[in-house]
Amino acid sequence: MSNGKKNNNNSNSSLPLIIIGLVLITALAGAWWLFNRNTNPNKTSTNTNSAASMTANRTPNSVSNPMGAQPPNLLGSPNASVTVEEFADFQCGACAAVHPRVKELTSLYGSRIKFIFRNYPLAIAAHDKAYNAAVAAEAAGMQGSNKFWEMQNLLFTNQQVWTANPDYRRIWEGYAAQIGLDVERFKNDMAGLSAKSRVDADMQRGRSLNLSSTPTIFVNGQSIPFEQMSVETMRQIIDAELLKAPATQQTPAASGGASNTAPAQSGNTSSANTQKK
Amino acid sequence: MSDAEFLPEESGNKIAKLPLAASLVALAGLCDAIYLTIHHYTGEKVPCSVTGGCEAVLTSAYAEIGGIPLAAFGAAAYFVAFSLAILAAFGNRLTWKLFGIQTALMAAFSLWLIYLQAFVILEYCQFCLLSAATSITLFLIALFSRFWRS
Repeated sequence: MSNGKKNNNNSNSSLPLIIIGLVLITALAGAWWLFNRNTNPNKTSTNTNSAASMTANRTPNSVSNPMGAQPPNLLGSPNASVTVEEFADFQCGACAAVHPRVKELTSLYGSRIKFIFRNYPLAIAAHDKAYNAAVAAEAAGMQGSNKFWEMQNLLFTNQQVWTANPDYRRIWEGYAAQIGLDVERFKNDMAGLSAKSRVDADMQRGRSLNLSSTPTIFVNGQSIPFEQMSVETMRQIIDAELLKAPATQQTPAASGGASNTAPAQSGNTSSANTQKK
Repeated sequence: MSDAEFLPEESGNKIAKLPLAASLVALAGLCDAIYLTIHHYTGEKVPCSVTGGCEAVLTSAYAEIGGIPLAAFGAAAYFVAFSLAILAAFGNRLTWKLFGIQTALMAAFSLWLIYLQAFVILEYCQFCLLSAATSITLFLIALFSRFWRS
């Protein structure tokens, strides 16, 4: 190569590097701008939805946090003085373990509490079907007030069955038939946006509360640590909240105070007072 | 010269068209991947009007590797592809060879991701499909340049 060519190449060799540098800077600046535009002031920048350990003392504030799906999946009385709000993921083993306890509590307290179930499918490797499972429960809920709870119950109690099965959607359709749903409509609702947007709304609420693990249960805004999610401990917490509430807000059944006197009810689905349309 | 005709020979003034086109496609892929990465971290819902399955795909088990969103790897890969293509556009033959190897891997990986969307997750995400389209296009450009010279 002659000297002239060498010089020519050298003068040109810096141009691609300049372009690459400019693109890198623009890309980083664009990413920074997007990040700031999308970050809600209520959220921390490290919210990556990973299943990290629980963070303590999160309090849901209905004013500053998104409301979640409206109307919520609700059991008990919407006017009860004690609100129990559970965020759960259908592929989470701990959620399935806590499910019968929560079910027991809702039937035990009936209209004395307001129980809200929120979908919070975690974006982690082992939970690849969790989001769709939440959509399935919501799609079931579109066919009647109790169907959400029936599907939710089936999804939790049969978690091991469908979670490992590649043909899980067919299994869910089987559940839909089992609880008397119009299966074709259920499939359509699963594909549609309404059920998904309800799940997304719940997730948005969960994220705004910086939830990082499931199940997370709030009793009147106070997060209950997982170790305390036994029926006995949760009853103590709910009873304490019921006693705190002004007498005027309590329903007649709650006036006795202790949950021991609560009338037994046959189960979630039969005592359901859902507000879903 | 045994190398491709699309690359400028002798003179550094000419800019090769195919690598330049490839760099523009890589830029589009880079924008898409950055967008998805940021959405992953902010947790914002991705607007998904065409295919309707973005949330299912982007929150699936396959959306992360070791806690890092797949889109972040994609952004890095597109940036490298862009850099290699730009260097090739200015006459660097080695980077164009590397570009061919890299985009072959990216296209293969994209095909696997399309398979996952079609048969495992059973939902499509338009931004993921766009990314697959760009990486396959990059590979096709690299492939085309090989045949073009002969």
